[in-house]
Amino acid sequence: MSRKKKTVLIDLSGTIHIENDEVPGSIDALKMLRTCTVNVRFVTNTTKESKQILFERLTKIGFEIDFDEIFSSLTAAVNRIKKSNLRPYLLVDDKAIADFEGFPVADPNCVVVGLAPEKLSFECMNKAFDLLINGAQLIAIHKAKYYKRTDGLALGPGPFVTALEYASGVSAHIVGKPSSDFFLSAIKDYDCQPADCYMIGDDVWGDIEGAASLGMMTFVVKTGKYLDGDEFKIQSKTRVVDRFSDAVAEIIKDISLF
Amino acid sequence: MTDWTKIPIKGILLDITGVLYESGGQAIDGSIDAVARLMKSKIPVRFCTNETSCTRKALVEKLHRFGFSMEEKDVFPPIPAMSSILKQRKLRPFTILKPEAMADMSEIDCSNPNCVVIGDATTEFSYETLNKAFQLLVSLDMPLLFSLGRGKYYNENGKLALDVGCYMKALEYACDIQAEIVGKPSRSFFNAALEDMSVSADQVVMIGDDVVNDVGGAQSCGMRGVLVRTGKYRFQDENHPEVKPDGIVDNLAQAVDMILKAL
Repeated sequence: MSRKKKTVLIDLSGTIHIENDEVPGSIDALKMLRTCTVNVRFVTNTTKESKQILFERLTKIGFEIDFDEIFSSLTAAVNRIKKSNLRPYLLVDDKAIADFEGFPVADPNCVVVGLAPEKLSFECMNKAFDLLINGAQLIAIHKAKYYKRTDGLALGPGPFVTALEYASGVSAHIVGKPSSDFFLSAIKDYDCQPADCYMIGDDVWGDIEGAASLGMMTFVVKTGKYLDGDEFKIQSKTRVVDRFSDAVAEIIKDISLF
Repeated sequence: MTDWTKIPIKGILLDITGVLYESGGQAIDGSIDAVARLMKSKIPVRFCTNETSCTRKALVEKLHRFGFSMEEKDVFPPIPAMSSILKQRKLRPFTILKPEAMADMSEIDCSNPNCVVIGDATTEFSYETLNKAFQLLVSLDMPLLFSLGRGKYYNENGKLALDVGCYMKALEYACDIQAEIVGKPSRSFFNAALEDMSVSADQVVMIGDDVVNDVGGAQSCGMRGVLVRTGKYRFQDENHPEVKPDGIVDNLAQAVDMILKAL
């Protein structure tokens, strides 16, 4: 049995908080988790909030976290554009544009799709399509089907990415969850294998399927965007718990067995 | 390619946009005369279109202004077909359609909706409207999405635009459902036109500019599918990985020449 230090990857929105509210019990559960010797990383598919904004929000809710424990899909997108020297056409929220400053934008050769209701208009989608059939790459910050808003579920970027893929025949590079690259980058600073990792999240496709396919142990929580029976919509087996604090309790039990 | 006129032709289905006239433009050379010659030959002709940007009446009036002379009852667009499905199945739709097309839905109760219908639209395809459709679909025990066609894109006045199929895919992906297509290439849609002519599929030729939805769709119903090199046609369509047209012609006029010669 592996005696390696375990790493726990934790989704943010819908799992430990919903907008500015804690998912009940999560602050204490996180403290409990930290009493075990584990690495903790917060992995999030945000498309519109910089790391700084996320950090401030979580701290304000009352979570004790380290700035560097946050690993977001926006960072992953920026890394990819940098690495390949791309000129992006950005369908991303204005709040996130700051993260993309400094990239050339004239004569774009890639389309970056995030979640930006005002940018996902008929005109902008057509412009993106035109670029794609003329050879541009398609980068999806993530491909979530929907997310939880205070007024209910709302469309994520995934459906718009799918529309562009269908029209152009170009497959998107997904830089956020559930891409394997995302999860592997999130743990690359630690000396651990996917099999030494836990993933806790509310999205069976984004959080669970991606992590499980790498061999991580997974928990789906019944908060946030979770809908009844979601766990049966995916191929992978996952443990199902009511909320984050229950997942932590099970992980602590697991670890104490080793 | 074998001679697609060899088996006797007892009925003809024609696509409209890209075959009779160019989208946003004018009648395609020779097509007005070609339709007139077909009608004179007494071979039954029906017009099968996925056009939903206006009412059937407005579409036919536009064709008459070009100089075509078909009757409204011979034109089969998706909205009237959709209306009868909604009536039959007692459904109340939330629609994403252009206001110009809504008159063909006038008999339909759209209050307290329990399904979604999407068709030709432009700025109506906004995040907010699509989100409304999405929120309705996920609130239903049996989410029902109808898509009037499933085209990928079209070319209007030299500008490319995403077609209804893209937004159908978006909602399918979001809700994990499969849309029902009303329009080409759905079998029941083609069948309605075939039944109206009382001719069996193997005696009918469909002529269109969309290799997948016109040609492939007709072939999978047992018709012959002929591709024209007008409209949205691109040369790659001649080597399509899945669809092999029974015939490829420069335009409708050439197809009609061949049909009439074989009589």
